[in-house]
Amino acid sequence: MNETPHARARKLFEQSLVEGLPPAEQKWLDAHLRECTECAFATATTRELLSALRSVPVTVPGDLAARTQLKVRLRSQQTAEASPSSTLLWIITAASWLLGIFSAPLVWRGFAWLGERTNLPKPVLELGFVLWWAVPALIALAVVLHQRAVGSRA
Amino acid sequence: MTDDTQLLAVALRRRDPDVLDRLIERYQHRLYRYLLFLTGNAALADDLFQETWVRVLERGHQYNPKNKFESWLFTIARNLVIDVSRRKRIASLEEIGDPHSEQSYDPPDDRAQSALQMLVTRENEKAVQLSLLKIAPYYREVLLLRFQEELPLEEIAAVLATPISTVKSRLYRGLEALKSALPGGAA
Repeated sequence: MNETPHARARKLFEQSLVEGLPPAEQKWLDAHLRECTECAFATATTRELLSALRSVPVTVPGDLAARTQLKVRLRSQQTAEASPSSTLLWIITAASWLLGIFSAPLVWRGFAWLGERTNLPKPVLELGFVLWWAVPALIALAVVLHQRAVGSRA
Repeated sequence: MTDDTQLLAVALRRRDPDVLDRLIERYQHRLYRYLLFLTGNAALADDLFQETWVRVLERGHQYNPKNKFESWLFTIARNLVIDVSRRKRIASLEEIGDPHSEQSYDPPDDRAQSALQMLVTRENEKAVQLSLLKIAPYYREVLLLRFQEELPLEEIAAVLATPISTVKSRLYRGLEALKSALPGGAA
């Protein structure tokens, strides 16, 4: 079915509003609108409609911005007080690592003594030693994940 | 990614209150207008405006400086509107994600419209604005983002988390719906 020039003009006009037109089609549309008063009127009315949409004189309540700024500042303070600072978390993590490194020989001897007493297989003792070392990191990981979960729920 | 958005991302990660104050000042009109026309309710728009900025504070670390700040801001606001509509079942904003849902759309009630009318001053624009409230929300929001906020199609697609082709088809249908909703039928 062949499209009439008027139907094509209306279609191209809407396309120009939504996604723009290639230069050749824009040129054809401009030429058609210069000649066809009916299409020119229809497109001008739509332009007016969209212009009215853009120039909406909405009045923002006078104190809304100030109230929001206050609320955001209060929430910021509450959050800062409720959660440990990341600096503190880093200090605790570093201290835990240093303690882990320096206490490793003692812990190793402790596990050796436990092995002699209980006759546990060597792989079990080695796994226990690794877990002993990993516990602080696992706790830190749990704290970080918990904070993220709380943050994303908020 | 511009230097501005990069600096903004750093400030948002730091939860810098002065930067947030400036952002609230700068975007208050656009955000409030968007919320007012999306919900059709001044009191709800007021609440959601505040809640949007609280979320900006709390989720500042999620802002990606590759995107425009306003797109991210409108995304947060839109998600809040959807949350509220799910809780209160006010208007079928849940349908935003599915324009072909069989659930019928209930336009905002008269009280909401009259609250909006109080804020709209120019007589010849009332018809257009009230017609906007009559059309389905998934058309209304694309029209608002495209023709009121003048966002490019890519940004609208990011706000709606939907393909550009869907944005385009909603814009074409939304334009038709808006024209039909005007007093007298079509523009």
